[in-house]
Amino acid sequence: MDKYVDIAIIGSGVVGSSIAYHLSESRQKEIIVIDKGFPLSGTSGSTQAWVWVHNKSPSWYGELSMYSAELYPFLEKKIGDVEYKRTGGIAPFFDEEDREKALKLAEKQAEVGIKVEVLNRNQVLEKEPVLSSKIAGATYSSIDGNVNPFRLVELYIKAAKKNDVKFSFYNPVIDIKKESGFFRITTKNEGTYTAEKIILAGGPWTKELGSFLGIDIPVKQVRGQILVTEPLAPLFRHTIAGMRQTDNGEVLIGYSKEEVGYDRRTTMEVIQDTAKMAVDYIPALANANLVRSFSGVRVIPEDGFPIVGEISNIKNAYLAVMHSGVTLSPLVGTLMAELLLEGETSIDLGRLSLDRFEKKSNGAVVQ
Amino acid sequence: MDKSTIVCKCEEINIDEIETALKAGACQFDDIKRLTRCGMGPCQSKVCTNMVREIIAAYTGEPMEHIEYPKNRMPIKITRLGVLVANQETSSVVSVFKESVSEVDTNG
Repeated sequence: MDKYVDIAIIGSGVVGSSIAYHLSESRQKEIIVIDKGFPLSGTSGSTQAWVWVHNKSPSWYGELSMYSAELYPFLEKKIGDVEYKRTGGIAPFFDEEDREKALKLAEKQAEVGIKVEVLNRNQVLEKEPVLSSKIAGATYSSIDGNVNPFRLVELYIKAAKKNDVKFSFYNPVIDIKKESGFFRITTKNEGTYTAEKIILAGGPWTKELGSFLGIDIPVKQVRGQILVTEPLAPLFRHTIAGMRQTDNGEVLIGYSKEEVGYDRRTTMEVIQDTAKMAVDYIPALANANLVRSFSGVRVIPEDGFPIVGEISNIKNAYLAVMHSGVTLSPLVGTLMAELLLEGETSIDLGRLSLDRFEKKSNGAVVQ
Repeated sequence: MDKSTIVCKCEEINIDEIETALKAGACQFDDIKRLTRCGMGPCQSKVCTNMVREIIAAYTGEPMEHIEYPKNRMPIKITRLGVLVANQETSSVVSVFKESVSEVDTNG
């Protein structure tokens, strides 16, 4: 079996699905999305799904996140209810000494138009009375929020299917070759696809995909573990850096980072530390019942920032790999559609190019 | 049983919703779970596991022993969060605030 498509996207997580949907809006191209598993079985389905802006630094990265957050209300009009809520975000600190750093962050973010307020204890408690009075202060911004990642990915896919994008699930890519200008993508279950353009959006598996094309994609796998409480009456409204409450009342808690490869076990140590964080932030959570823990493996580029754009020495091959895929997916989908359909983007992607890593190894200054 | 029969009592998910997920390409319990919330409630699929597996088996024509179980996670039984609070000096949990201001220091 040998099938031709204009664009093949490898990976049907939040990033790949968003790119597929945004590309499909013009209905110009024949598109297939190929995934080794089923949507939401990997990183995109194991997240608290904050749409988080105000702590993203340096400020140019915060700015990108802000533009993406701004796209969510419009996206929701187009693809349906993804339970996006702009709750405002609170990032607490416990040492008065941190206030100066908080003010510096606010100053930097203001330069790009992100409004960050530095709150004192009373102002924090006014916003969220359930928070601990041990908190010295917090940074706050109204731009932050959260989304239901299950609804988000499902509706990206549904909307893309409606625009005739084809999806192939449970079909691992086992080889990619470039032959006479076209990509030959060998899959485990459906033979070979021939594509004019290819987009690698494999999240934590992008490194393997890159190796088929002979390129090194410098990304790390970083595990995060999250606790889930039973559904509670509305306890707090904001997205708090470390936890959020979902529409149906569950509280999701956690912010741990471990480099242990693709290992999705949860561990007692992190569960206990996470429980402590929960109670340090919101003492009333000590009485909440825990029903589940889960873990996900983030993909984080070596320098922390997204890698998006064409691979410079392989024409028509593109990369879209990043941490914070939930926050960035509306923007990255939009920009990738511009890049592939029009050849240029409304926001310069130069900073996000894979080339920055080569420059670094040559000792040249980046940014 | 008709299609409106509730399978997951915690989240009130019926046969029709499970079959819709199967038609969308779901093959395993956990695929269905993430699309429908089936098995995500307080009992954590202890009640519905085999009923859902039977529906998968009937839909796919695979024998029951080939149908995977949902992934179990800690805690086995609902547990008060306060009981788990550790009192360690160092923590594996990162502060979002501290992380963001350290970036300001190094890149600012």
